[in-house]
Amino acid sequence: MSSAQIEIQLIASLVAIACAIPGTFLVLRKMAMISDAISHSILPGIVVGFFITQDLNSPLLILLAALTGIITVVLVEYIQKTGLVKEDTAIGLVFPILFSIGVIMIAKNANDVHLDVDAVLLGELAFAPFDRLIVSGIDVGPKSLWIIGSILIITIGLLFAFFKELKISTFDAGLAASLGFSPAVIHYGLMSVSSITTVGAFDAVGAILVVALMISPAATAYLLTNNLKRMLIYAICFGVFSAISGYWLAHWLDASISGSITTMLGLLFLAVYLFAPNKGVIAVMYREKQQRTEVSLLTFLLHLKNHTEERERHVNHLNEHINWQKVRSKTVLDLALKNNMIKFDKNIVSLTEKGEDFTSQAIDYIITNEDAQIEDMKDDFFLFRG
Amino acid sequence: MDITEYIKLVFTDYTLRTITLGTAILGAVTGMLGSFAVLRKQSLLGDAISHAALPGIAIAFLITGAKDSNVLLLGALISGLIGTFWIRGIISKTHLKSDTALGLILSLFFGFGMLLLTFIQKQPNANQAGLDKYLFGQAATLVESDVWMMAIVTGICLFVLLLFWKEFKILLFDADYTKTLGFNTKLIDILITSFIVLAIVLGLQTVGVVLMSAMLLAPAAAARQWTNSLSVMVFLSAIFGAFSGVFGTAVSASQNNLSTGPVIVIVAGVFVLVSFIFSPSRGLLFKQIRFIKNRRDLKLHKTLAFMYNIAETHENISHPHAIKILNNFQGYTKATLQKLVQKNYVKLDGTMWSLTEEGFKIASNLYNQQNDNNE
Repeated sequence: MSSAQIEIQLIASLVAIACAIPGTFLVLRKMAMISDAISHSILPGIVVGFFITQDLNSPLLILLAALTGIITVVLVEYIQKTGLVKEDTAIGLVFPILFSIGVIMIAKNANDVHLDVDAVLLGELAFAPFDRLIVSGIDVGPKSLWIIGSILIITIGLLFAFFKELKISTFDAGLAASLGFSPAVIHYGLMSVSSITTVGAFDAVGAILVVALMISPAATAYLLTNNLKRMLIYAICFGVFSAISGYWLAHWLDASISGSITTMLGLLFLAVYLFAPNKGVIAVMYREKQQRTEVSLLTFLLHLKNHTEERERHVNHLNEHINWQKVRSKTVLDLALKNNMIKFDKNIVSLTEKGEDFTSQAIDYIITNEDAQIEDMKDDFFLFRG
Repeated sequence: MDITEYIKLVFTDYTLRTITLGTAILGAVTGMLGSFAVLRKQSLLGDAISHAALPGIAIAFLITGAKDSNVLLLGALISGLIGTFWIRGIISKTHLKSDTALGLILSLFFGFGMLLLTFIQKQPNANQAGLDKYLFGQAATLVESDVWMMAIVTGICLFVLLLFWKEFKILLFDADYTKTLGFNTKLIDILITSFIVLAIVLGLQTVGVVLMSAMLLAPAAAARQWTNSLSVMVFLSAIFGAFSGVFGTAVSASQNNLSTGPVIVIVAGVFVLVSFIFSPSRGLLFKQIRFIKNRRDLKLHKTLAFMYNIAETHENISHPHAIKILNNFQGYTKATLQKLVQKNYVKLDGTMWSLTEEGFKIASNLYNQQNDNNE
């Protein structure tokens, strides 16, 4: 591994961490699309900043562009407040227009500006190590490394300083306000950090990857945990993992680094989306099926309890009366038998003592409208779940 | 080239005519379907879909190896639909919210598309040049067959829209009621979403992935301000969209170095801005005017009520009082007094005022809601 490769991976990892922190809060506050809006609308800010500073890595440019990001947020909120359109429409209107202004500004000055839209949108991480920061004649590393490093340090500092405030205002804005934390200050603080991170990272990895790095690690982590601290840590790990594995994927395919990092993020999300233990699609579908069977079982037991006459409890009759498909009635019957709730006597089904107990408790809960209790009760009675 | 020259050229020059027609049709169809996206609160879906279409374009190219725009758009359509249904899957199956789902699909698909595009660029296939026009769009690459394609799709959209108008409308405003009426809401929903995806995919070649969402939203958001009726809104939105397309093309053709996509978006943005400000019922300007007028009326009423309270204590309601005593009352100015005189509620006599019969009647009923001439 050459030193340039190490530097690229280092930059990518730092960007991933710097994005994951505000990203987690954006996802939790249901403002993920704002990051997309910011990442597009910083373009005019970058262009204006570039006219003034003539240097893509100057701190002034970063501040100017971050300001455009905040202007976007304010504009979206203003339009939304007028009530003329809904919030999502407001977002969808503001950023393409700002982005178009940026594109046109670049196009009109194409001759004397060394800046093109593709670079802003897509970034080129592979070139990042070539732009060195030279302090009094000594090469101290790539500029983007320093920029993203300082942004990361500020972000982490703010995170530790205001963790409690952020946490409360994210989950209970009303409580936060009544405790005396201004939700507006925290909101705009978070927006500013997001804007600055976006701007600081776009040069290295491009605006779209910034969005991906903000949203997907946080969303992936959110599928695995409900604990904020754990979610932050998971998000950071996912981000760094995708950054490094994405780099090697790009190396292998000889393709865009930011594209491959995003692809790794996507694969990671897909895997967690499908296989997450509690909230993954497969787990959810399994649970839904289980509950369907168990509800059917309960209906079946209630039917048995309600009918003492043998005719009603004959296997053939049950099949047609409850009108389940063959397969389903078999699963339900098997489950009931396994759990020792019914017994057969010459094709006549009747409840066992345990079945009686279970059913009467269930009726109690249903009558008193405490349906939620049935789940706990199932744990007491069931040896095997549906 | 200036505007007059442009207008002359539209009728004679093949390329310019094709592009103008293409952008106009595109604006109309996106505006039409955009109304549904906006009203269904799916505004950002357009943004997500247009980004999600990118890998489809790249994969279609990888498979066929040719740059036939119809095949590429088919790929975009499939990939856009996959993105849309994955977004729905995320929202319905997990606890992630819609904004997260949209942002995820948008950025992940786009990143994957970029990976494929850069991968294609390294391939020894001379055909690949110009695939990246789908990023920002290039109206100049439109040819007549593309325009025909757009026209046909627009025709189909229009036909289906008219055929299922009732179903679309009722689903839009009361989904639960639709279900109870026995309509297959899922099918209608899929139908309208697919058409939105189709419209977006059509526009990719012209305005590109990044700006497509504005084409969908802006005309609809502008049209929404002028009407509360769905049919009028769809119609207006199509008109706004078409005009943005034509004006945008005109402006970009008459200037050097201006790509069409961003100009169209800015023109559409101007439509939105004008509608936001000048729409008579919802616009900000008239809202502000109404607000000021109401405040004035309220002040006038306060003055009148104050006078009434004084006059009430006298047997003769028209007993003259000094203007001076009104100074104790806050909302009083010479102008409001003059207005009251004009309305014949008050008579002025030198420095004295007196309530008229009519003024007294109005004042006594002021807060009774009965007099409907409150203006």
